[in-house]
Amino acid sequence: MTRPILSVENLTVRFGATTAVDNVSFAVAPGESFGLVGESGSGKSTILRTIMGLVGDWSGTVQVDGLEAAKTPRRQFAQHVQMVFQDPYASLHPRHQIGRAIAEPMRIHGLPNAEARTMELLDLIGLGSKFAYRYPHELSGGQRQRVAIARALALSPKLLLLDEPTSALDVSIQAEILNLLNRLRQELGLSFAIVSHNLAVVSYMCDRLMVMQHAKVVETLTREQLRNRDLNEAYTRDFLAASAL
Amino acid sequence: MTRPLVEIQNLRIAFPTEDGSLHEAVRGVSFTLGREKLGMVGESGSGKSLSGRALLGVLPDYARMQADVLRFDDIDLLEAPRGTRRKLRGGRMGMILQDPKFSLNPVMRVGEQIVEAIRIGDRRISRDAARRTTLDILATMHIRDPEQVFDRYPHELSGGMGQRVMIAMMVVREPDLLIADEPTSALDVTVQLQVLSILDELVTRRQMGLIFISHDLQLVSRFCDRVLVMYAGQIVETLVAGRLNEARHPYTRGLLACLPTIDGPLEPLAILQRQADWATQL
Repeated sequence: MTRPILSVENLTVRFGATTAVDNVSFAVAPGESFGLVGESGSGKSTILRTIMGLVGDWSGTVQVDGLEAAKTPRRQFAQHVQMVFQDPYASLHPRHQIGRAIAEPMRIHGLPNAEARTMELLDLIGLGSKFAYRYPHELSGGQRQRVAIARALALSPKLLLLDEPTSALDVSIQAEILNLLNRLRQELGLSFAIVSHNLAVVSYMCDRLMVMQHAKVVETLTREQLRNRDLNEAYTRDFLAASAL
Repeated sequence: MTRPLVEIQNLRIAFPTEDGSLHEAVRGVSFTLGREKLGMVGESGSGKSLSGRALLGVLPDYARMQADVLRFDDIDLLEAPRGTRRKLRGGRMGMILQDPKFSLNPVMRVGEQIVEAIRIGDRRISRDAARRTTLDILATMHIRDPEQVFDRYPHELSGGMGQRVMIAMMVVREPDLLIADEPTSALDVTVQLQVLSILDELVTRRQMGLIFISHDLQLVSRFCDRVLVMYAGQIVETLVAGRLNEARHPYTRGLLACLPTIDGPLEPLAILQRQADWATQL
C-alpha cells in the first residue's frame, strides 16, 4: 500500500480531567478526501487542531507525508499541511490587506517571488489580483473564505485540514466554495480531511468518513456504504435520521 | 374571519451610507401572521432579520423605518409610545436569537436570569413563586434535571441546553408572538430536532404566532405552515409548507439546486445565477 498522506494512531487528547479524543486511529490516502462527522464536543475539531500543533497535551502518533508531528520542526511541517477554519471573519487580520495575508506564510518561510505567487493564488481561487489591496471588511464571507484557502495553499501543502469550511456561509456561497475545493483538489492533487456536522456536505465531498461520538470513533464508512445505508452502528442511523429532517 | 395577529404593509427600512445617501435594506415588505408558524427565508442581507426586529421595535437608532401598516393584535405599532412598545417586548412579544453564548448573561446563573425575566413582567410575583415557575418551564423544555440546570452558569451548558434555556426565558411569560431568528443554526442536527419539537408544541398548545427566520429553506418548509422567500429586501415568493418542489421563482429554485444532498450526484453543484430583475421588481 502507498504511504498515507495522513496517519493518526492511538491519538488521545486530554484537557485537564476531560478526554476530548480517546484512542482514535485513521489514515488518509494520497488524493483522498476524508470526512470527520459528529456532534459538537465529539472531538473531531480537536483532532485537526492536534495535527496542526495547536493542542499541547496529546499522546499517540501523528504522521503527515511520513513526517512525525512530534519530531518535525513546525516550519518544515507547515509546508506539508495547512488548515482552513470555520469562521472566515475571524481567520484574517482585520488590518492587513488581502495580499499581505496571503503572502505572510511565504515571507515567514523566506520563499522568493512571494508577490507573484500571491497574484497567482488570487487567480487560482477565483478572486483575481485586484483583491490584493483590499481589506477583509471589504469582502463578503465567501470571498474571505476563498482568501483563507489561498493563504492555506501558499506553501503548496499536499494536505488541507478543513474545519467546517462552509457552515458560516449562505447555501448559495457554500456551493461555490465546495466546487472550488473540489477543483483545487483535482488540479493540485490535494488530500482533504474535512470536519463537518453536515452529512450532505460530507457525502458530497468525501470518499470516506469517520463518525465520532463522545471522543471515540463510532465507525468508518465509505461514501457508498453511507449512500446504501449500509451502517453498522445505531448512533450513525440516528445521526442520519436527524440529518434527513 | 378573525383579525390576524400581525399585519405589516409596505415596510421599508433604510440605513444612511457614508456618502450621505440611503441604502434600502427592506423594500416594501407586506404580510400577515395568524396563530401559525411562518417561515422567513433568504440569504444574509436579504432583510429577514430586520423585518422581525422592526416588529419588535429594536432596530438601531440610525435606521429609517416607515410602513403603511405595522400592527400587532389591535395595537398600531407606528403610533404606540415607546413605553407601550417596551411593555410588549418580553411580555406579549419575544425573540430568540441564534447563539445562546451571546444572549445570556455570562456572570449570572441561568435560573436567576429566568426569574428576573418573570419578575420584570410582574413585580408582585414572589421570588419563590418565580423560582417554581422557572423550574416548571425548564422541565417543559425537556431538561431532565431543572434544579441542577437552574444553578449553572451559561458557560457550563452545552449549546443545545443554552438554547433551551433561552427559549424557556422567552416563553415563560406566554407571549402571543415569538420571533425566532436562526434558533437552531448553531445546534447539532440531533439537538435541532428537540428544539423544533419544543417550538412546535408551544405554537400548538399555547396558540402562539411564530415567525421562524432562517437561511435553511428545506428545514423551514418542513417545519412551518407558510414560507416567505426574501431576496434583496423584498418578498419574492410565498410557499405553502412542504411544497418546495412547486417553487416558481428562479431565486427559490436556484437556492434549492445549489444544496448538496446525501444521495445526490457528485458533479459540480449548481451556482446561483443572480438576475438583476429579481431585485428591481417593485
